[in-house]
Amino acid sequence: MKEVMLDCFGEACPIPLVKAQNKMKEMDIGDILIVSIDHSCAMKNLPDWARGEGHNVEVEETGDGEWEVVIEKVK
Amino acid sequence: MSSFKETMKKITSNPVYVKWLKDAWPYLTGAILLSLFQIVTLATTYNPWGVTGPYTNWGAWIFELFGGSVDKWYYFSSEGMQRTLENGFLADGGSVRNAGLILGALLAVLFASQFKIKKIKSKKQVVAAVLGGLLMGYGARIAYGCNIGALYSGIASLSLSGWVFGIFLFLGAIVGSKLLVKYFM
Amino acid sequence: MSETQAGSSIRRSSSSRAGSARKPKPNQLPFAILVLLLLIAAGIALQAFGFGTGWYLVTGLIFGYILQRSRFCFTASMRDPYLTGSTLLTRAVLAALAFTTIGFAAIKYGYFKAGLPIPGMDYVVPVSFATVFGAFIFGIGMVIAGGCGSGTLMRVGEGFYMQMLSLLFFIVGSFWGAHDFGWWKETVINKGFEVFLPDVFGWFGAVVIQLVVILLIYIAAEKYHEAKASADAH
Repeated sequence: MKEVMLDCFGEACPIPLVKAQNKMKEMDIGDILIVSIDHSCAMKNLPDWARGEGHNVEVEETGDGEWEVVIEKVK
Repeated sequence: MSSFKETMKKITSNPVYVKWLKDAWPYLTGAILLSLFQIVTLATTYNPWGVTGPYTNWGAWIFELFGGSVDKWYYFSSEGMQRTLENGFLADGGSVRNAGLILGALLAVLFASQFKIKKIKSKKQVVAAVLGGLLMGYGARIAYGCNIGALYSGIASLSLSGWVFGIFLFLGAIVGSKLLVKYFM
Repeated sequence: MSETQAGSSIRRSSSSRAGSARKPKPNQLPFAILVLLLLIAAGIALQAFGFGTGWYLVTGLIFGYILQRSRFCFTASMRDPYLTGSTLLTRAVLAALAFTTIGFAAIKYGYFKAGLPIPGMDYVVPVSFATVFGAFIFGIGMVIAGGCGSGTLMRVGEGFYMQMLSLLFFIVGSFWGAHDFGWWKETVINKGFEVFLPDVFGWFGAVVIQLVVILLIYIAAEKYHEAKASADAH
């Protein structure tokens, strides 16, 4: 079980989502992906996508306009 | 000062605040509210919502600031256009509405305490912004509008042009996506 | 349910946790109230000084507020099906098109029945190669710039320097388009044709056909989304 950090600060939509999708493909079940974002749309479309895929998802607001999306790969 | 902080905390942990001012709304809520105010806009201003039309006026005003003149341009030749240019920004409804849109989004992020300046991160972003802006500007002008004026308002106005715009917009977005992944990511 | 839960059920090492270590920043709510008060004053001033555009300011604020709060994005509605396989926003835009069509048709029909000029007919524009080409390059531009007409303005308000730059060149591009507009009009647009659907199908027929088409695209989008999601899982 490993943790992967993905820094997407300053990235415009949809780059955080596409990067996260690519990262998730390389990861194993039980691994955790932590995506740092400051794009207000990504804090919605990234969790929406991951939940749709059936992963465990949490969104944490880490600062003003900054979030961490934590995704646990379950399948 | 501490009581002020406490009051702030009380407000920001209130469920009504969290639901309406902090959390993202479902997309469908957005669709319903946008439709409502589109309809209100048509009913009160006799025209649907548009965004890009005023940009040409902004261009003309900036051009005039540098001593240029658009009097001979076909696009600005109508009497209505000339009057709009003469009366200036604050009297141009579309221009004021665009300014309002910027400030409305600002208000939304401030109320959610989520405002943050996002600086440009790379040269790629500069190229993407310049090229994307130019393509959108030119495209919107010759196609009579953008996603709002030509697509949303066009289709809702029962105009065939809105549907044609939508089909080729979709094809353009696919090409744009390929370029984005290849060069701008 | 809050989307930003503090309590976590995903087990994650404490070293990667930033939340608690960060010092709390001042809440931005007071600035929001200040800006709101200034905007109310600006709206009153627009009316008081005879510009008559106060209502436009109000509707702009409302549109901006709705777009930001719901993360509504016309660019994503067109881009995501291909790029990420999601049609959530595509379906939201289709829903908006359906609701607005009904409202617009009712208003327009009311004016038509009363023998008055139909409002909003400036938005029924000719279909020509300029529509095709303009929409196509607009589609490319909005994806690489990360925002369309409304999305760019919204993101300027959110503090994105990138979209401020793209807005500047959006204006340059518009002005350039206006410069060439005479040529486009004469050689391309004038060869096109305007079609107001009620003229072809009747008022009732046009609305029904349009709503059915929107519904069919909606169903196709939903099926596409499900197919993409299950293909990803394997």
